[in-house]
Amino acid sequence: MARNRPVRSALEAKRVNISKGWYKFSRNPLSVLGLGVLIVIVFAALLAPFITPYPEHAGPFTDFRRSSLPPSLTHLFGTDTVGRDVFSRVIFGYRFSLLLAIVVISLSVPPGILLGLVAGYTRRHWIEIAIMRITDIFLAVPPLVLALAITAMLSPNLLNQMMAISLMWWPWYCRLVYSVTTSLRHEYFVHDAELTGARKMFILLRTVLPNCVGPILTKITLDMGFVITLGASLSFIGLGVQPPKPGLGTMVADGAKRLPAEWWMTVFPALAIVAVILSFNLIGDGLRDMFAVEEI
Amino acid sequence: MKGPILTVENLKKYFFTKQGTVKAVDRVSFSVIQGETFGLVGESGSGKTTIAHTIVGIYAPSGGAALFKGKNIGVDSSRRSIDLKKDIRIVFQDPGSSLNPRWSIKQILDLPLRVHSANAGPERLERVRELLSMVELPPEEYLYKYPPSMGGGEKQMVAIARALATNPSFVALDEPTSALDVSVQAKIINLLMGLQEKLHLTYLFITHDLSLMRNMATRVAIMYLGKICEVAPTVAFFQRPFHPYTRMLLSSIQVISDQEEELKPKKIISRGEIPSPVNVPPGCSFHLRCPERMDICRRVDPVMVEHETGHFVRCHLYPDRSGRQPTDA
Amino acid sequence: MMNGSTPLLEIRDLHVRFKIYEGELKVLNGVDLRIDEGEKVGLVGETGCGKTTTIKSVLRVLPMPPARIIKGEILYKGKDILKMRRAEIPSLRRGEISAIFQDPLTSLNPVFTIGQQLGDIIKFSLKNQGMKRVKRENIRLNAASLLKETGMPDPERILKSYPVQLSGGMRQRVCISEALRVNVNLLMADEPTTNLDVTIQDQILRRLDDLVEKRGTSILLITHSLGVVRNLTHRVYIMYAGNIIETAETRELFKNPLHPYTQGLLKTVPRLTGEGVSKGIPGRIPNYLDPPRGCRYHPRCDHRMPICKKDRPPLYVMELDRKASSDPAISSGGRIKEDHRVACYLYRSRAE
Repeated sequence: MARNRPVRSALEAKRVNISKGWYKFSRNPLSVLGLGVLIVIVFAALLAPFITPYPEHAGPFTDFRRSSLPPSLTHLFGTDTVGRDVFSRVIFGYRFSLLLAIVVISLSVPPGILLGLVAGYTRRHWIEIAIMRITDIFLAVPPLVLALAITAMLSPNLLNQMMAISLMWWPWYCRLVYSVTTSLRHEYFVHDAELTGARKMFILLRTVLPNCVGPILTKITLDMGFVITLGASLSFIGLGVQPPKPGLGTMVADGAKRLPAEWWMTVFPALAIVAVILSFNLIGDGLRDMFAVEEI
Repeated sequence: MKGPILTVENLKKYFFTKQGTVKAVDRVSFSVIQGETFGLVGESGSGKTTIAHTIVGIYAPSGGAALFKGKNIGVDSSRRSIDLKKDIRIVFQDPGSSLNPRWSIKQILDLPLRVHSANAGPERLERVRELLSMVELPPEEYLYKYPPSMGGGEKQMVAIARALATNPSFVALDEPTSALDVSVQAKIINLLMGLQEKLHLTYLFITHDLSLMRNMATRVAIMYLGKICEVAPTVAFFQRPFHPYTRMLLSSIQVISDQEEELKPKKIISRGEIPSPVNVPPGCSFHLRCPERMDICRRVDPVMVEHETGHFVRCHLYPDRSGRQPTDA
Repeated sequence: MMNGSTPLLEIRDLHVRFKIYEGELKVLNGVDLRIDEGEKVGLVGETGCGKTTTIKSVLRVLPMPPARIIKGEILYKGKDILKMRRAEIPSLRRGEISAIFQDPLTSLNPVFTIGQQLGDIIKFSLKNQGMKRVKRENIRLNAASLLKETGMPDPERILKSYPVQLSGGMRQRVCISEALRVNVNLLMADEPTTNLDVTIQDQILRRLDDLVEKRGTSILLITHSLGVVRNLTHRVYIMYAGNIIETAETRELFKNPLHPYTQGLLKTVPRLTGEGVSKGIPGRIPNYLDPPRGCRYHPRCDHRMPICKKDRPPLYVMELDRKASSDPAISSGGRIKEDHRVACYLYRSRAE
């Protein structure tokens, strides 16, 4: 591919941008590894009913004849105390974890971004102060405590868990976008857009926001890890995914009681959590490089 | 005889900071004649950029008046009419930050067209190509380029094309070539001068490069700490500078030939630094560094006087003999 | 300074390339440069010609991927810097070669006071010279006197200040103090005054000149401003697209520019005499991904010939008019007149 040719159409420009982005990303071998692992996990989770050996074990299923079996060829990760295949449950468990991460990010990031943009760009000082102080209040409460309180008030299930975590996640994005926006506020290209007569929304969304995308995406990948950990922690103490559904945190909790003899019941779910978080974190580095504006 | 297109009278722009009030522009008055290139020269802290930003509408002035084609422009851009925004444009100092690094050149040049013309996409694209050709950047090569992959000179040419996209009558050029090499500078200056003639533009040209100013401007004004020290037609400014600061500045420039050395005023060793604009010295703001200071300079701020026809200076060495009110330049 | 003794710094046939998405940038294409002790040498070239890459190579701060040194030597006092082990480099930077860069704000650490930064540097330099324990008081006095030498008013107050509290001129003076600590032998100044006001620029250049003369430090002054170089250097190199294309004693170069690029460059500088602005040099600097074969300037040259497209011209030595100076010690203050060299086939026949 002649990488040096000038670009002659909008479509070609998009293709070149993507290709260039991938080039910058792929200079980090660990990031590529993380991406690979994540893709495998996501596909596995999506196709769980079709690829797991014992999909019915992910629900109410017991078979005490096959309980507490160590890892073997028929049960890759062994079985738990009621005879369910740990491997299949882990794959299904990924579904809940990933769903949690996606929902929380989708709910919390857009409002955070919008508030951050407004707070950073507005010339009216009181709006800026109001938004940032509200943000501070939310940030002052420890996430686990707030999540506990909310899920304890309502009934403990995945949905409530998702909403509770979303509520405390948006302030981080607000702050991030606020800091980028204030630093860009007085750049000449923003002034030029104002002087030309572009409307405020246009300036915020099309001028300022594209310059925030890098830090935002990098933070999202790191946050996926945090959210999954938080979800697993809540499940660990019984406030998340309820049995018999296979939450990874729940599985770690249940299996912990069987340590160290029947180690496979805890260790594999724990490793699964580690794998997904690690892969997100590794991707984060590559993303940061991908979005860096490089001058030649 | 063309009349003034822009008149600025006792213009003030003060910034209020925790350390004190910064009088960036402190009672500045001048007029710009239609079609001319009015040069504004000064070092950092002189206020030249602030004046340009105020005229263009980034700020509203803190006091004084500014009239453009007879209409009041003493407000910031959010309060200006769309026609005014079309008519007064600016090319910024730093090509690196005047173009959005995430936008393609096509998007950058399309924005003013979207705001100001009623044309649809294809017509605007045609106009974008026209603009790129006008600044001698081949459209096929540049339409989809991004600023980070372009050199400073190319970026500045895009900035110029962007400024001219709305067919303005007045363009403020804030150090358009200061960050660029001499050969690129030559190209851009030639371009600007050609376009000025073709499109009947009036320029407010700001630079600290006096040699460049000598060849660009019809009239030159020199500023120090927010006030104008001297205004004159170019030749008079360079051949017969009156103000000690003008002479100091002229004697400091690095020239490349002996003939030019001869033209410089006798070497005035520049002393001291420019004081902080929060701490403007009393009396004449230049007196601390002035080799010719007198007692009165410490106490009284001089007024602008027309010492020769068309040649104005604000200095106690050239007192106002007629008892007239301070004149506008 | 005599011809024949070991030069302080000698760069021989340096080739450097950078790997990027689109391919490989062949930035330096055989740079030859020499600085003797006590000499003030200018390196003039426009943005992108490779001057910064050159000094970064000398300081060994080029990021090694993506940069690659294809061939060439950089001899400092006879030893090849490029072949030195990593462990030897710090002492080179502390005691022998130092540099100041264009933007003093980014050269100074914003969270430390000037006193702390300057003090650290002095401490390391003194230790490098073998002093075991250095008293804090000594360091402070040392720092204050360094600042005074560069013309700073009130050095004590400056030592307690942070970089953001100082003006650009003052910051650059601090950088100069840092660079001239403890008698380095070679100072490389990359556009040291480009961002500063004209009057301050003048002051600082004169100060730099004084200091350098007094201590006998050699200086490599890199700039795109011909005016600065004319007043401050003994000898000048003109660089274009990764090559040295002309070099001569400064006065000689301005009086008698030979290379078409040099001539073009001199024509584009706006003059105080008011002749108007020249048209500039047609064309653009070459694309380093696929630079022109042969002489890299030939696409823009009015005098190009077929041979210019084939091979890069070597630096031809122009025979100077020797009869005026049969005694080599006469002319320019006891120094032997340097040869005027130009890399252009136009002068192939005139070369000795």
